Amino acid sequence: MIADKLTDPVCGPFWRAAQERRLELCWCTQCDAAVWYPLAHCPRCAAPTTWRRLSGRASLHSWSEVLLPINPAFPEPYITALVVPEEALGTRLVTQLVDCAAADLRCDMPLAVCFRPLVGQEPDGCLAPVFKPA
Amino acid sequence: MQSLDQLKRRSVTPDWGASTALADVSGQTAIAGIGETPHTGASGRTTKAMALLAVERAIADAGLEPGDIDGLMVGFGIEDQLTPDDFRAHFQTGNPLWYNTQGGAMVWAATCMHTAAQAIAAGQATHVVNAFAVDWATRRTEGRLAHSEYHADEPMKAHFELPYGWFPQPVYFATFARRHMHEHGTTEAQLGALPVAFRRHANGHPDAVMKDRTLSLEDYLHRPYLASPFRVEDCCMISDGAGAFVITAAERARHLRHRPVIAEGVGHGRIHGAPYIAQQGDITSTPQVFSAPWAYAMAEVGPLDLDVIAVYDCFSMTALMQIEDLGFCGKGEGGSFVQDNRLHFDRPRQQGGIPCNTHGGFLSHAYTLGISHVIELVKQLRGTAPNQVRDAELAAYAGFTADEASTLILRRGDR
Repeated sequence: MIADKLTDPVCGPFWRAAQERRLELCWCTQCDAAVWYPLAHCPRCAAPTTWRRLSGRASLHSWSEVLLPINPAFPEPYITALVVPEEALGTRLVTQLVDCAAADLRCDMPLAVCFRPLVGQEPDGCLAPVFKPA
Repeated sequence: MQSLDQLKRRSVTPDWGASTALADVSGQTAIAGIGETPHTGASGRTTKAMALLAVERAIADAGLEPGDIDGLMVGFGIEDQLTPDDFRAHFQTGNPLWYNTQGGAMVWAATCMHTAAQAIAAGQATHVVNAFAVDWATRRTEGRLAHSEYHADEPMKAHFELPYGWFPQPVYFATFARRHMHEHGTTEAQLGALPVAFRRHANGHPDAVMKDRTLSLEDYLHRPYLASPFRVEDCCMISDGAGAFVITAAERARHLRHRPVIAEGVGHGRIHGAPYIAQQGDITSTPQVFSAPWAYAMAEVGPLDLDVIAVYDCFSMTALMQIEDLGFCGKGEGGSFVQDNRLHFDRPRQQGGIPCNTHGGFLSHAYTLGISHVIELVKQLRGTAPNQVRDAELAAYAGFTADEASTLILRRGDR
């Protein structure tokens, strides 16, 4: 586990933005494209990267509902998913889905970001971007 | 012999990964001996004790003596694999051993044939043993199964995947399976055809962990989800066991005890952006799409020439996707392809099938990470497998590590 995700030099901006209920992604302004997972420099053009706020609208690429104990840290059931932000169609965010039942889900459905504390995450109460049906 | 350029021209692949440029080693080496331990649940056996037993059996099977062995290949990153000192101490031999850790199981159970071919051609070794052992069932019982720590140790996975419970491996591939079902209409009954076929093979195999437990499609569909759409039956077992095989020059193998099994083609491929499979260009495919074309080009064969295959079935869907990626059907057609007993040992290619994991695979034989898959193919090509495919002459192993895949094409040699 990460000692302090908020202060990590490379990944910290994602988590700090989430505490203020913003979804931000590492971005290359030269290429005008997401760099995910984050890097200090763009792997395509080597320009320094920055962070860009996204709308929070996304589509559901795929998901799985975990129903039997598989992760001691995560009480089942929970739904984990890959989602595609509307501004970065080549990028997938790993996330959880909330405020929905598995029976209501289908791939490619529209989603909207929201911010919740995740079970077992440090620091206690740290908000994380998760998604719900739009 | 084909040049790298020739092999590359004949190996067209998608743009979200790449083939590894492996030199043509077609026909150079053979598997001359095979050995395995019993495969079990938690047994208290150590990896080294199991590996030494498998090695001892493989050497004897080849008709060689321990003192004839001058090369040892094992895997890296798996706990407590054999060292040259272990080998010499156990067998009381003093000869030098060429030692290489790009062997063992997973993708390396295929690529070790390429690595060994080059070492043998360079005069570094004559008889190489490739060995792999795993004691994860014992480790799990004792609460020291560590292989999930990989996820926590990788910084990007730790930041952006772990917090959301997108691990361990069943969750990855359950997510991929869901997308395959969405894009291609694959059904749960089609997915269930794989565990059911492999269980039938295990029921006919004396060494399979699941030899006494049957599984019908109806049973499968009534089982609860572990991580939807996967049930426990879609996921590899955890077991203790070891396997080993002896590699030597093809010409040399002709003079040993058994009919040789010749390595005709080797392939390897990897996704761009490895190891982050969440970002993989197409999660309804595997890196086998980058590996198989190279191996086919090297062997100068195609999927329809194969009599029997052993596919890395860490999960039912990873096997189904690799069956597509090996070219037995188009992308997305795997669900309907695997129905109608097409993977069963008694539905040969002459009847539109492709016998697959005839020992039971990871789902029902044992989770030895691929070394038993290769050993099973050797038995098939010798004509001594428990679920023997009639007149099997050409076989392929499809290896996999999530972000990498490999392919080994084996042919029954002449005496």
